[in-house]
Amino acid sequence: MSRRDEVRRLRRSAPKSRFLRASGVVLGALLVAAWVDTDRWPFALFGGRRAENLRRFVDRELVPYPLRDTEWGFADLWEWAAQLFTQRGAEATVSTLAISGLAILLAAGTAWLLAPFASRNVATRRPAETDGADDAAAWRVVRGVTFGAFVAFRALPEYVLAFLLVALLGPGHAWPAVLALAVHNAGILGRLSAETVENIEPAPLQALRDSGARRRDLVVAAVWPLALGRWLSYFFYRFETCVRESSALGMLGIASLGYWIRDAQSKHYYDEVFFFVGLSALIVIAADLVSSRARRSIRE
Amino acid sequence: MTTLDAGLPRRPFPVGPRLRLLLAFAAAAAACYWYLGLSWRELLPATGAGTHFRDFFAGAVRPAVDYEASWVPEGAPPFLATVAKAMWETLSLAAASMSLALVAALPLSFLTSESAWGRMTRGAASANSSRNAARVTSRMARAVRPVFRVGIAAMRSTHELLWAVVLLAIFGDHDFLAVLAIAIPYAGTLAKVFSEMIDEAPGDSADALRQAGARPLAVFLFGRLPRAAPDMTAYSFYRFECAVRSSAVMGFFGFPTIGYYLSLSYENLHYREVWTWLYALVALVLVFEAWSARMRRRWVAR
Repeated sequence: MSRRDEVRRLRRSAPKSRFLRASGVVLGALLVAAWVDTDRWPFALFGGRRAENLRRFVDRELVPYPLRDTEWGFADLWEWAAQLFTQRGAEATVSTLAISGLAILLAAGTAWLLAPFASRNVATRRPAETDGADDAAAWRVVRGVTFGAFVAFRALPEYVLAFLLVALLGPGHAWPAVLALAVHNAGILGRLSAETVENIEPAPLQALRDSGARRRDLVVAAVWPLALGRWLSYFFYRFETCVRESSALGMLGIASLGYWIRDAQSKHYYDEVFFFVGLSALIVIAADLVSSRARRSIRE
Repeated sequence: MTTLDAGLPRRPFPVGPRLRLLLAFAAAAAACYWYLGLSWRELLPATGAGTHFRDFFAGAVRPAVDYEASWVPEGAPPFLATVAKAMWETLSLAAASMSLALVAALPLSFLTSESAWGRMTRGAASANSSRNAARVTSRMARAVRPVFRVGIAAMRSTHELLWAVVLLAIFGDHDFLAVLAIAIPYAGTLAKVFSEMIDEAPGDSADALRQAGARPLAVFLFGRLPRAAPDMTAYSFYRFECAVRSSAVMGFFGFPTIGYYLSLSYENLHYREVWTWLYALVALVLVFEAWSARMRRRWVAR
């Protein structure tokens, strides 16, 4: 048999799935349809009046306000930035971090408490049974409800949740942002935590169970401690996205960086828009560095 | 047993590193709560807002199937047709952004992954003749990789809505800007995760190819990349799900996705319509999630 025949034979014998093929076709059709017959093609973006607007924007509106029409140096630029930061940026930065910190802690706490109820090795008639032969219907309901709650929590995007909560709870405080982030992330972290709990080594659980530990003792003494490392790693992974999201949620009128971005945008102060967007990018990068450092130290 | 006990200090209440960590977390939460000046009372509906609350949640059990407005302009499409159209717009914006993000993310992830540069050079260094070339490649890697890594960090550290603000400020109003606003941060995230997946993929096939004398580019393309491909595909499906949510939210900036109609109905106090939009969004997200979860399972198990 020649080498080419061998390759053909291997390819033929590889497992195939009709579902995957159909999905691939649908997905491909979706990607094509998204671009056919739409106004999404960017050709008009640089022609005619738009080009003129763009030039004016870059030449003029992007330049920090006090520096327009003057000879300026970097000292002036620095002064402008320092003033913006001390007057508005610093407080909004701390608020952004506080909103995301409180939200992620609430989310992680909820996920942490609920995760055992959704995992097959704890929420079952006989915990840590590797055969999994006998399972009571009541326990299946408990797992289903908890898991369903996780799915429901994360179905709506944070921005939509916060939008509804601002209208319901009133403006002027940070609860809408905190709750929106907490609910969405509780869903994500809940699912990940439940998976972590299911992947725990069964031996310690079995040892405790066979020496007479009740389910509650099992969770406190073995499930939570054993899942802690993985859970922390997920915690930091979501913390970074929370910081990103909470600065955007400010655009709904909540006192984070987004508030000042929206404010400057409505006044057409584009120099300030860019300043605050840059500031939010910086704190996200800082949060990213902290979380990846933390996650690395957890792994080791 | 007694010998075991003797060696250990007796503590009435053991405070280990884990408990200390949890206490630190609780303290952090309390500090945030205090800084934001929050109070539990703000979570209750304000006086006089009770009926508003009730009306809103009453809409949950009977979402609108027709316009709630008393006057609808002549020739307006039926409400449910608008819903279907908005769902399609949401899905197709997500698809357009994902296609752009993937096209950008693949080359970026190759350029930032360690194995595309580092392992390649190590393989080449074994051959005496190409040692010089290897030195050039590794010097190039040292110059190029950090630049692209900072670039993708900048792309993904700005939220898609903030990208939308920036792009709308620069270019004015255009449908492509919604695509771009989602595609930029998604490309950054995809590129970062892809490059990690390429680096962490099992290196056995790459080693085999290298020992058989394959050239570095072939080692990367046929040895390393295929081993990372299933994970990369699975992660792309997951990001597609996220893109559906982001594209719905883009509507709040005036693009014709679900968020646009949702905010419009809310401003007109048409709560039953609001619930229809919420259910439409949840249905779209859940169907897509179930589909992609099933695909991922099949794909990774293959």
